[in-house]
Amino acid sequence: MAIHKILFASLLICLLIQSSHGATKERLFSDLEKSALEVTATPSRVGEGVVLAAGIDKLSITWKVSSTATKEPEFKAIKVKLCYAPASQVDRPWRKTENELFKDKSCPHKISSWSYDPAVKTAQSFDYTLERDIPTGTYFVRAYAVDAKDHEVAFGQSTNEDKTTNLFSVQAISGRHKSLDIASVCFSVFSVLALLVFFVNEKRKAKIEQSK
Amino acid sequence: MAPNHSNENGSIGSSLHGVTAREQVFSFSVEDGPSSQAIRSDDPTAKFALLVDSEHRAKVFKPFSFAKPHMRAFHLGWISFFTCFISTFAAAPLVPVIRDNLDLTKTDIGNAGVASVSGAIFSRLAMGAVCDLLGARYGTAFSLMLSAPAVFSMSFVADAGSYLAVRFMIGFCLATFVSCQYWTSVMFTGKIIGLVNGCAGGWGDMGGGVTQLLMPMVFHVIKLTGATPYTAWRFAFFIPGFLQIIMGILVLTLGQDLPDGNLSTLQKSGQVSKDKFSKVFWFAVKNYRTWILFVLYGFSMGVELTINNVISGYFYDRFNLTLHTAGIVAASFGMANFFARPFGGYASDVAARLFGMRGRLWTLWILQTVGALFCIWLGRASSLPIAVLAMMLFSVGTQAACGALFGVAPFVSRRSLGLISGLTGAGGNFGSGVTQLLFFSSSRFSTAEGLSLMGVMAVVCTIPVAFIHFPQWGSMFLRPSQHEERSKEEHYYGGEWTEEEKSLGLHEGSIKFAENSRSERGRKAVLADIPTPETGSPAHV
Repeated sequence: MAIHKILFASLLICLLIQSSHGATKERLFSDLEKSALEVTATPSRVGEGVVLAAGIDKLSITWKVSSTATKEPEFKAIKVKLCYAPASQVDRPWRKTENELFKDKSCPHKISSWSYDPAVKTAQSFDYTLERDIPTGTYFVRAYAVDAKDHEVAFGQSTNEDKTTNLFSVQAISGRHKSLDIASVCFSVFSVLALLVFFVNEKRKAKIEQSK
Repeated sequence: MAPNHSNENGSIGSSLHGVTAREQVFSFSVEDGPSSQAIRSDDPTAKFALLVDSEHRAKVFKPFSFAKPHMRAFHLGWISFFTCFISTFAAAPLVPVIRDNLDLTKTDIGNAGVASVSGAIFSRLAMGAVCDLLGARYGTAFSLMLSAPAVFSMSFVADAGSYLAVRFMIGFCLATFVSCQYWTSVMFTGKIIGLVNGCAGGWGDMGGGVTQLLMPMVFHVIKLTGATPYTAWRFAFFIPGFLQIIMGILVLTLGQDLPDGNLSTLQKSGQVSKDKFSKVFWFAVKNYRTWILFVLYGFSMGVELTINNVISGYFYDRFNLTLHTAGIVAASFGMANFFARPFGGYASDVAARLFGMRGRLWTLWILQTVGALFCIWLGRASSLPIAVLAMMLFSVGTQAACGALFGVAPFVSRRSLGLISGLTGAGGNFGSGVTQLLFFSSSRFSTAEGLSLMGVMAVVCTIPVAFIHFPQWGSMFLRPSQHEERSKEEHYYGGEWTEEEKSLGLHEGSIKFAENSRSERGRKAVLADIPTPETGSPAHV
């Protein structure tokens, strides 16, 4: 039966996906070294109630390895990510913070990745223009230090531990376009008109038939 | 023996007649009889591609044919219904994108899901009357072409409120369920209407599965042309919109209301007296079985509609699948309808042949309960292969239960058959609204917990089927009445007419139906000590 084929196929797909998860399941966020990196993120526009526009405004991000970092020899690369502040996680379980790293969904947006050079001790900085698919919300920046196996070992973030300071707000693009709006109206009108034309036409034909 | 059928062509009581199964089965449907020869010598029947009965309804079902008018009506009907399912649930697989664009919370998404199925509660009830007045073609076309603007207006949506409003308006088009079943019931004869309606219903429901595949695919293709995700999803809605317009035009140009022509041209030819809507309504509402079916369908079709809204997002979030893969998994749920629903109807028919109506009721209870148990399992499954397996078994159980329910519904009433079918259909949407509101609209339960709880609620709400008792056939646990009068089908169906109406002969159709429904006694029908119809042929089909 067709259903057996579908079931079998989907089982196969699922098993394949499952096996690609690897052995990263038990790594916890709480095991990472805190504040190993000093990270600052400065929006291009600051002020009370300023909301940055996705696709337009920039963040100026700097990161530096803290002098107190103990796992520093393991660092191979630095990954910088945009993370949701608690206000943007309320009633949104798909952005939940989880301790297990592979389950954690609070930092889905990649900003950039840098390979780590132990010889360079000064702060690195770069500009990041907010991507056009960043959703509306409140954010902070976090940098993870990863080792040779691409496992996170330490991190630093632009806000405090409670995630209450130095947050910035972003407003997403609406995705609406004038051309889309116009096309939408045109097709809607066509749909209603076509129906009316058919209806009136048939009523008229029926009347003519009856009068014959 | 003159064919004595009070064919209420257009009477409100039968507006949805045969929406399910077992419509008018004529006791003279034996092939070689003097009466049928008289029909064959009639010219009109010779012009049909399929064998027809005296009302020119097809007696055979050939799914691969597009012959005018019967098979064409079938295909136009189920494809229209299919298209409406695509539009209603088109947002579901794209929710991960939409929720970021519009900054939606789980509550917003849940409420929009409730709204998407709520509109149809009312539109399904109204559609029966629309089909009576304007014919099935216009019923279908109105549904398709007047809700197409709602589909297109997704391009204007900017926040949670407008998103909810648009999904609510799109949901109205699910009334095509009623117009589709109405159309097939005027085109196909009572004996095969169960299978025909099971296929039309099941294949239409598949749209809820296909949309989970179609929309992510369309979204992906539009993104490839360079659009941002937040524009691409809006544009993706144009596809269901186009489909609706195209189907609407096809229905109006290629379709035909009745086997003999369109309603407007046939309007003058002898219409039998219409039944009074108030009476029909009263008998439907007064019958407690109607409400039990309302609840039951709410937890078979209702659960199915809810799953269409939440399952894609569930697999996306819980198992970290891509939008595409989550769509494939979710689609498998809806696609099972292709055979699961007709299978349910067929199982009900087989059970009836052996055990009569009691068999039908047991089949319904078993299928729906087993489906709900697998739903509980689905919520508890923490690994992907187990979740998919549970989902597939759950889908077959629940969808077969939908088909089995419409094996019972036609026997609840003859006079109010159409309205009861409409009410049952509305119950499906109501159940979906309730389950989405309770379990999937707040952060109180995770989606997984919501699924399990919904399964538990479905098991509990399937228990009322044990209380459906027919004096002439019994119920799940009680035998039929031994009382002289009450044990007859005529008593049950005749009881819907007052003495005055009976003296006017208005109840003749019900009596005919009662005779034909003796098949619901199961194997005992042959041994039944009841006067057989004039032809002397066995009453069971």
